[in-house]
Amino acid sequence: MRKRILAALGAVTLVMVVESWAPVLVAAQAPSGTATFKATAIDTEAAIKAAADAAKAAAATVNWAPPRTAWGDPDLQGYYLSLSYTPLERPVELAGKPFYTEEEAVAAFRKAVEADAEVDPRTVHYDWKEYGMDAWQSPVRPNLRTALIVDPPDGRIPAMTPEAQKRQAAARARNPQVSVQTLGNLYTRCITGNQGPPRLPFNHDSESQILQTPGYVVMLMQSNNDVRIIPLDGRPHLPQNVGQWLGDARGHWEGNTLVVETTNFHQQRNWRGSADGLKLVERFTPVDPKTIRYEFTVDDPTTWVRPWSVESPLPRIEPPIYEWACHEQNYGLMNVVKGAQAREAEAKR
Amino acid sequence: MNIRLRGVIIAVPSVAVAALWLGATPALSQAPSAGLFPSYAAPRTADGKPNLNGIWQALTTANWDIQAHGAQPGPHPELMGAWGAGPGGQSIVEGGEIPYRPEALAKKKQNLETRMAVKVTNDPHRYDSGEPELQCYRPGVPRANYMPFPFQIFQTPAEILIVYEYKGASRTIYMDPHREPPTDSWMGWSNGHWEGDTLVVDVTEFNDHTWFDRAGNFHSDALHVVERYTPISPYHIKYEATIEDPNVFTRPWKITFPLYRRVEENVQLVEFNCVPFVEELMYDPVGLYKPPSR
Repeated sequence: MRKRILAALGAVTLVMVVESWAPVLVAAQAPSGTATFKATAIDTEAAIKAAADAAKAAAATVNWAPPRTAWGDPDLQGYYLSLSYTPLERPVELAGKPFYTEEEAVAAFRKAVEADAEVDPRTVHYDWKEYGMDAWQSPVRPNLRTALIVDPPDGRIPAMTPEAQKRQAAARARNPQVSVQTLGNLYTRCITGNQGPPRLPFNHDSESQILQTPGYVVMLMQSNNDVRIIPLDGRPHLPQNVGQWLGDARGHWEGNTLVVETTNFHQQRNWRGSADGLKLVERFTPVDPKTIRYEFTVDDPTTWVRPWSVESPLPRIEPPIYEWACHEQNYGLMNVVKGAQAREAEAKR
Repeated sequence: MNIRLRGVIIAVPSVAVAALWLGATPALSQAPSAGLFPSYAAPRTADGKPNLNGIWQALTTANWDIQAHGAQPGPHPELMGAWGAGPGGQSIVEGGEIPYRPEALAKKKQNLETRMAVKVTNDPHRYDSGEPELQCYRPGVPRANYMPFPFQIFQTPAEILIVYEYKGASRTIYMDPHREPPTDSWMGWSNGHWEGDTLVVDVTEFNDHTWFDRAGNFHSDALHVVERYTPISPYHIKYEATIEDPNVFTRPWKITFPLYRRVEENVQLVEFNCVPFVEELMYDPVGLYKPPSR
């Protein structure tokens, strides 16, 4: 998973998110050029070993009960990361194999880490690794699952309905010109961040915070500082005609699991091709002191022939969350569109 | 209003009835809390602090102009009519005057004249002119608290998170521990503590891109704001903010206004994401905006 910052759209002031799940530094505030770093931040072998050990320890924790808030709800508060080397869909060569053995999982993790840490200076100007933001420099661990999709059992996204395919073709036909709307997406236009909902663990800047007060859970994302306010009092959703980019969430507890049902998506949101009638159910279960098990099911009969579900862990990280003033300085979007227009003009000559 | 007393209806002026409800003595005597209510002790959170959780909103027109102002036509009245006009309103600035340095006052006037300018560039000059709210930029502090939109306070012992309906903008007030700001930001960096029943918030490390209102009142990146949130009734917070910026003002000055609790059943923030509403305004002049054909 090679990342090219030059190709990343949307201007992000990286300085602000450098230490988002740090500290990678061992010594605090060392003078420039003399800082020492944790081995897991600079040495892939150390990182792989630490991650494998952490995965073993987590697997050994069963029936863990989280602490409770002062008013008796399970306490999920803290900061969490959404990042993974496990692919969303099961690779074709692993058909019929939903789980690795422990050894296979570590081997797959090693392979992904080494590919991630490798940087070809001829093609990459600078890499996330320099900022301590590669997944292996974080609490991401090997995963026994061979794919994040847990349903359908084949680990693949269900087929799109003919209606959805027509919808997508029509949308492409309506936008022939190079512009903010065609080259940009909700993320690069700074309308929403890259954390859905639902959250897929394939993007950087995926730090988040969960805060709880009586009757509410609040989730603050690093990406675009998207905020989801989740009332727990059983109130109805907003009326159907009110669409929101982040949907409208309602939560309740099932044992130690926070169940969040989200509807009322904006008409133009188009999450992975879906329409505004999308129904999302997420489940957040603290399974050990360092991990929330995150599961979601998406259901949109106008888009996919059946619902599908994902499971992906959210490991704990260090605070804080920083301001993400994306739209206020979106140079990247302008530069990319101008560049594309220039290339198009050249090609016409 | 009428009171039914043992089957006899008595017509009583509303004001007198309200005075009876508020307590034995009319609420005209000096109370420490805004002079309007008897002194009030808010219910406590689990950790013993005044409970500020809830949805709140200011009812001033300070977002148009923090000083006293008359109603005025808006931009493009031939198109916007009464929709676009600005309401009149009273000052939230204590004493009414903002103590600008002379050169800064000239800059304020220039801001007012060029407030509709939108000049999106690839460098910091994009902030040289133009009112930031027009382009859906973050409002900064204290302006976020007097935007004409509600906001929700989430209070925990370690942090207080405020989420503003406007833009979904948010800020974290670090209570325990306090944290150092790593860099500057639009909403500043907030550390808070309690003084009796008042939440005191120290806000620093602002950038210089926000305005206090649409009328051109501005600051530099030396801005320092100290806010005070004091609950004065179950439904009101007295909000005060002291503003200090030696680059722009000759002395600190203060704003104050009440925050009103939103009490509708099932009240919630409803998304106001203005970024899609400003893309044509910002990107069309540089030829980057091409809306999809019908």
